[in-house]
Amino acid sequence: MYLALLELKAARGRFLLMGGVVVLVAALVGIVSGFTTGLGDDTISALRRLPATHLAFARGADSDQFARSLVDGRALDGWRAREGVRATPLGVSIARGTTNRKVEVDFAAFGIEPRSFLDPGSTSGRALSAAEPYGIVVSQQLVKDGVRIGDTLAVDRLGITLTVRGATGRSSYGHVAVAYLPVTAWQRIRFATPGVAATTAPPPRQYSAVALQAAPGADLAAADRALGTGTRTVEAAYAAAPGYTGERVTMTSIQAFLYAIAPLVVGAFFAVWTVQRQPELALLRALGASRRRLVGHTLGQAAVVVGGGTALGAALAAGLGLLVGSEVPFSLPGAALAATMGTVVLVGLAGTAVILRKVTTVDPMTMLGAGR
Amino acid sequence: MSLELCDVTVTLGRAESRTTALRGVSAGFAASALTALVGPSGSGKSTLLAVAGALLRPDSGQVLLDGRDIARLSPAEQARLRRTRIGYVFQSGNLLSGLTALEQLLAAASVAGRPPRAMRPRAEELLAEVGLAHRLRHRADQLSGGERQRIALARALLLEPGLLLVDEPTAAVDRERAAGIVDLLATTTHRHGCVTVVATHDPVVTRAADHVVDMTRLHTTSAAAS
Ligand SMILES: Nc1ncnc2c1ncn2[C@@H]1O[C@H](COP(=O)(O)OP(=O)(O)OP(=O)(O)O)[C@@H](O)[C@H]1O
Ligand SMILES: [Mg+2]
Repeated sequence: MYLALLELKAARGRFLLMGGVVVLVAALVGIVSGFTTGLGDDTISALRRLPATHLAFARGADSDQFARSLVDGRALDGWRAREGVRATPLGVSIARGTTNRKVEVDFAAFGIEPRSFLDPGSTSGRALSAAEPYGIVVSQQLVKDGVRIGDTLAVDRLGITLTVRGATGRSSYGHVAVAYLPVTAWQRIRFATPGVAATTAPPPRQYSAVALQAAPGADLAAADRALGTGTRTVEAAYAAAPGYTGERVTMTSIQAFLYAIAPLVVGAFFAVWTVQRQPELALLRALGASRRRLVGHTLGQAAVVVGGGTALGAALAAGLGLLVGSEVPFSLPGAALAATMGTVVLVGLAGTAVILRKVTTVDPMTMLGAGR
Repeated sequence: MSLELCDVTVTLGRAESRTTALRGVSAGFAASALTALVGPSGSGKSTLLAVAGALLRPDSGQVLLDGRDIARLSPAEQARLRRTRIGYVFQSGNLLSGLTALEQLLAAASVAGRPPRAMRPRAEELLAEVGLAHRLRHRADQLSGGERQRIALARALLLEPGLLLVDEPTAAVDRERAAGIVDLLATTTHRHGCVTVVATHDPVVTRAADHVVDMTRLHTTSAAAS
């Protein structure tokens, strides 16, 4: 390693330049990864929080199920009667409203049955209650926007007024903060006609989906056939959240490109470096340096450049994460950072591995050529 | 240590440029003696050194170092031999670019598995002996041709090799320096009892040598290599 470091010092300009490129690539990988997770959370954290194994949508709704699917009460009752399955209704729709303090908010209305397994409870204030059909529990982002426990929230143009009973943790759906409310109130919002005064007639007994807790081995397909529903796992239903698939494809392809670029630039740099250094490598071989030593030597230099650059890049990405705070959907937990940076180091070193042959095949006899 | 070449033939190059650089060469080199290897340009002096230095594998013949045929060693064993027992000063291109004079020596020490820090005092001493005490921190590209050769010589001596092979050490220095270098070579050889072979055109070297070997007479056919 002594010699490797001597060379690093002698050619520090070039190595700093290369290290700088690695820093930027690593930082970019970290930042993209942070946004991938952050945007993902912002899109589906409400779904991820659902303590359900499956969601049964209306049959025929193959995309945007949360917006398009309507399951009726008969199907819900059917699911509830099945062996090995617990079922509860779920309603999902986007609404906007204004509080009595004139705070205007968008919210994703998640209609659920109070005390069912979907009930998120509350971290402050009270949980949902069947006794208060228009009482809601809001997620943290709404609290941050200025919605307080005890406020009333008038749903725009529908003449429905909700009361904030309590608050729970972070939860969002399609980049909109979630408010949980009794499913009967949700039905009133979902099926009301804007501008028409609210009727007293009960709204249709319909839901976006039936949430299921299925025991392993429960025959969901048979139930689907009998009840006219289409069941998928909650994870499979993420794709139905607005924008989720597109965002993921975009972000992961950016990341894939970065993972391809990293070994290419590092490999190209070390290829040029090794070719330039052929006379030195020949001299070292002539002085008796083993092939293994020269390989270790080159890998050592690559490790310093790639490792050092990546560490700095990681610090940069993490620093940016702290800087933007919760203003933007950015989430880069330590484990994710370590994993992505580990990948950058690995692919970077893989780029160097390709040129190791050039190191081991150096002929010490070129020392005798007159060209030197 | 002893060095003996037995009927060594070396061909270099391919096709058009194919040359028989050594043709059935046999020669013995004694320990504790400075042997000057003379001969016209192209007669095969550098090639002989390369064969003796385990750098080049002959087409046929034996190269016996202490009675062991080093021509048959594996490349890894040859490399090991080079770094542990052989000191080599090449005709040119001896230095690692970007490194200082002192670092050249310490780098060689580290290649040979010796701790650079411990070797440092000896390295500085040797550089002083070749008249470069004031050039320790100069990089290879900041030195003259003669200075570079002297650094290479100091590097070769650093590890006290049993076999010292030196290719034209005085080609780029003035007569006074040449005499100093030859003196250093002779004293080192006699003090450490190593086998020293110096390829040279320089009468200063031949005068001081214990033996002088004419390269042209070593080939089995009297004509120089063609
Ligand atoms: N790589 C090579 N391919 C073909 N021929 C070569 C090669 N290297 C050297 N030769 C030839 O081998 C012969 C011996 O070369 P060598 O370098 O040993 O000569 P030398 O006695 O050291 O000459 P000089 O005094 O000029 O250094 C020369 O005729 C040279 O042209
Ligand atoms: Mg020569």
